Amino acid sequence: MHIPDGFIPLWQCAIYFIVTLPFIIKSLRWAKGEMDEASIPLFATLAAGIFAIQALNIPIPGGTSGHMVGGVMAAILLGSPFAGVLLLTIVLLIQGLLFADGGITVLGANILNMGIISTFVGFYAYRGLRKRVSMSAASFTGAWLGLFVSSLVVAVELSIAGTFPLLQGLFFMGLYHAIIGVVAEGAITAVVVSTILKVSPEIFPALTKEVTS
Amino acid sequence: MNKKYFAAFGLALAILISVLAPFLASSSPDGLESAAEKFKESEGKGYQAFSSPLLGYTVPQLGETGISRPIAIVIGTLVAFGIGYLLTKAINRDSHAHH
Repeated sequence: MHIPDGFIPLWQCAIYFIVTLPFIIKSLRWAKGEMDEASIPLFATLAAGIFAIQALNIPIPGGTSGHMVGGVMAAILLGSPFAGVLLLTIVLLIQGLLFADGGITVLGANILNMGIISTFVGFYAYRGLRKRVSMSAASFTGAWLGLFVSSLVVAVELSIAGTFPLLQGLFFMGLYHAIIGVVAEGAITAVVVSTILKVSPEIFPALTKEVTS
Repeated sequence: MNKKYFAAFGLALAILISVLAPFLASSSPDGLESAAEKFKESEGKGYQAFSSPLLGYTVPQLGETGISRPIAIVIGTLVAFGIGYLLTKAINRDSHAHH
């Protein structure tokens, strides 16, 4: 879902940078207020893991592929959507600068879509569901919904940019990401969250608190 | 399991995924690229605003050889770990200095 350079006019790119900036600042405040010495290596490991898993494109029928975004998983494990915002900002910066995966002029838009919208939608959907359904079902649905909604937002942004027609853009972006999200986002998130809860819940206190509260 | 042990295990897993990803990953266009191929509005619009050193997840000095892509992805994974570690460490050192 990485938008390349050229798909959005520069003045619109500037707006996305401006909208994104307060969230990045807030995410740095989160790291300052909520993280302790012991959670630093965990955060770094999640950044490494999410970068790696984003290189693993999973095929879907019809000659298309997709990969995990991971912001919702990070938010669930660390207990705040701002964890996902900070992690995805780091990952998208590296991808854009070192690998030209996602453009530089559109970095604000990519952080907004994958770091902020996907993470917030997914995390709060998970929060709303987790008392009614199992942790696995809540994390699966949250992660899937975060990817799906952010793909629709990308379609709207690209239609404002004049790069996609609105309705067809919504249809194809929604269709592809609804399918990609099942395995690449939903299943991986649910498996990781439930494995950690089973094997070593004490590693992520925010997650454990969520389950016991 | 303590947090450091868990982090080491997680990093090892991330490196393993990085090494295997080029061999396992689908090379089909992703959702956004597939959608863009359908619309004449997006034709010829994409360009590169910045000359990235590891363009296309390869190490230029190694060309398209078998080890080029795994090495490029491992570099990215280690850089992600490094920035994640140093940034949050620096932020938290700051907060201790204020108290």
